[in-house]
Amino acid sequence: MRDELISARGVKRFYDSGELKVAALDGVDLSIERGAYVVLAGRSGSGKTTLLNMLGGLDRPDAGSLSIAGQDMLAMTVAERAGFRLHHLGFVFQAYNLIRVLNARENVAYVLQLQGMDKKQRFELADQWLAKVGLSGFEKRRPDQMSGGQQQRVAVARALAAGPDLVLADEPTANLDSHTGESLMALMRQLNDEKSTTFVIASHDPAVIASARTLITMQDGKVESVKNL
Amino acid sequence: MGNLAIYLKLGWRNLWLHPLRTMLTAAALGVGIAALTFLSAMDDGWMQQIKTNFAMTVTGHIQIHAKGFEDSRNLSQRIEHPDKVIAAISRVDGIRGIATRVRASGLASSAGSNAGAQIYGVQPELEQQMSRLSGFVAAGTWLPDHDVHAAVVGDGLADRLGIGLGDKLVVMAAVPGGDIASEVFRVRGLIHSGVMEVDNLIVIVPLPTAQHWLGLGKAITDIVIRADSFDQVNELAVALKMSLSALGCGSFEVLRWYDIDPMAQQWADFADAYTWIVLLIVIIVVLAEVLNTMLMSMHERVREFGLMGALGVMPAQIFAMVVWETVILVLIGGAAGFALGGGLSLWYGEHGIDLSQFAIAFSFMYMDPIVHPLLQADSGLRILAAALFGAMIAGLIPAWKASRLQPAHALREL
Repeated sequence: MRDELISARGVKRFYDSGELKVAALDGVDLSIERGAYVVLAGRSGSGKTTLLNMLGGLDRPDAGSLSIAGQDMLAMTVAERAGFRLHHLGFVFQAYNLIRVLNARENVAYVLQLQGMDKKQRFELADQWLAKVGLSGFEKRRPDQMSGGQQQRVAVARALAAGPDLVLADEPTANLDSHTGESLMALMRQLNDEKSTTFVIASHDPAVIASARTLITMQDGKVESVKNL
Repeated sequence: MGNLAIYLKLGWRNLWLHPLRTMLTAAALGVGIAALTFLSAMDDGWMQQIKTNFAMTVTGHIQIHAKGFEDSRNLSQRIEHPDKVIAAISRVDGIRGIATRVRASGLASSAGSNAGAQIYGVQPELEQQMSRLSGFVAAGTWLPDHDVHAAVVGDGLADRLGIGLGDKLVVMAAVPGGDIASEVFRVRGLIHSGVMEVDNLIVIVPLPTAQHWLGLGKAITDIVIRADSFDQVNELAVALKMSLSALGCGSFEVLRWYDIDPMAQQWADFADAYTWIVLLIVIIVVLAEVLNTMLMSMHERVREFGLMGALGVMPAQIFAMVVWETVILVLIGGAAGFALGGGLSLWYGEHGIDLSQFAIAFSFMYMDPIVHPLLQADSGLRILAAALFGAMIAGLIPAWKASRLQPAHALREL
């Protein structure tokens, strides 16, 4: 039986550019099942990041409908969307993923604390996830004491430790060398296999595209193709 | 409040991302708070001196008169049966001492000169417990027992009259019927209080002599009351009024020390106004110092706020976090400033600040030329509260801006 996690119908998003209105998303229809490992590909300006922002509740469509995990994203207030992100979504961004003044363990535990988990439990869970992403021994390092790849791994650990329905990653390998980037993608696929967590990754990195199980190609704010690989 | 610990942790660590900037801001804040704490302590010290000197030199904490006497100074408005009044009020709690006086305006004359005088008929022993007048005797003695014609005179008045110890002094005053009566005294002591109003006007004589000379019988004009402390004056005045009304006499006036002299009242009002000015300056100092720092910090961390928003931190939580960060900064600077200002106040409170070169000007206001700053807990708390209020105001703008950031936009900031 099909278990739909994301359902988008006719999603549009316009940005003002002087007197012109530019359609960053121009009627996106999309359906993603729970447990999928999806890569959004396309050139710069094709609408990948805008769509990812819509899926993450970081931005609101101007038209259309969007539901995630059965929740109507357009009906939510700002605070409700923040609460939804906290309990259902995980994020990995291109850069500046971590809070500078917190160490690796505290960064992972931060979201758990906001969820209300007690200190002992959240630190134990944070350490377990840091170990899973290969960062045992790095618990007390601050972001400026880690490489870009290590920081991205901490971000992955943070995204997954909170037990989200969906992890959204925006150009996660853009600032990494190819070896580190491949290693990060292997880790995310492995976690997708083990935990059945749904991943949607926006990237134009060939290595990331090659790792896709479902590849959605975007062009000019529209979904050009959907391929199950 | 469940996430207070994380706000405090983030706030504290964010401040130390730029230690030099934080230290400079806290230092500037500290110097400002220190100066204002010291100024406030000076003000409190002055006010304490003014209050104590004014009340303890002559006036006492509270006086009871026949209604209207303080304005008219007419001896026909007198307390005919002081014993009954004293019996009624002596049951009131908080009274340390009671004395009775006759007070009249008159003319003092010597062989070669005359001058206006304030005549005080006092009970010598009781007066020693009530006021500092006996302690101000600079030459001769306080009113000796059994010398019904002894007078103690202010040294300024004695100079104007050209008299000294042992000289004869004639004092004239209006009696209740309107006639003028005079009495002869012998100068037994000269007092120097430093207060010009006292030194240039006062003539102190035994109470029975004044009563007889002025035709008052057993009547008096003033019942002077010393309270346990200044803090109890208002409460005590209310209790005294109640006890007098129970006596069935509606013809008394109960005046607090600052009701008796408008200047003392104005000084008390000025001290209050000065306190508000100090607090306003505290708020402005905090605003000026902290707002700039917090706005810089906020603009440097736009992406971080965007990230927090993306992770699910509520706008209200981001708002609270920035406000707490501001409060921590102000507490660091405020604590340092309060320690410095408080330390200086305590040291000078012990050793005093010598302003003797302004002694004449000070004497008009019942102030001693050596000022002892007084560090009071309530003044310190008011400054702390003003600093925190300023911090809240200074934190509101950056906190509001940070909480209103759209995560998607903030994350794109470079």
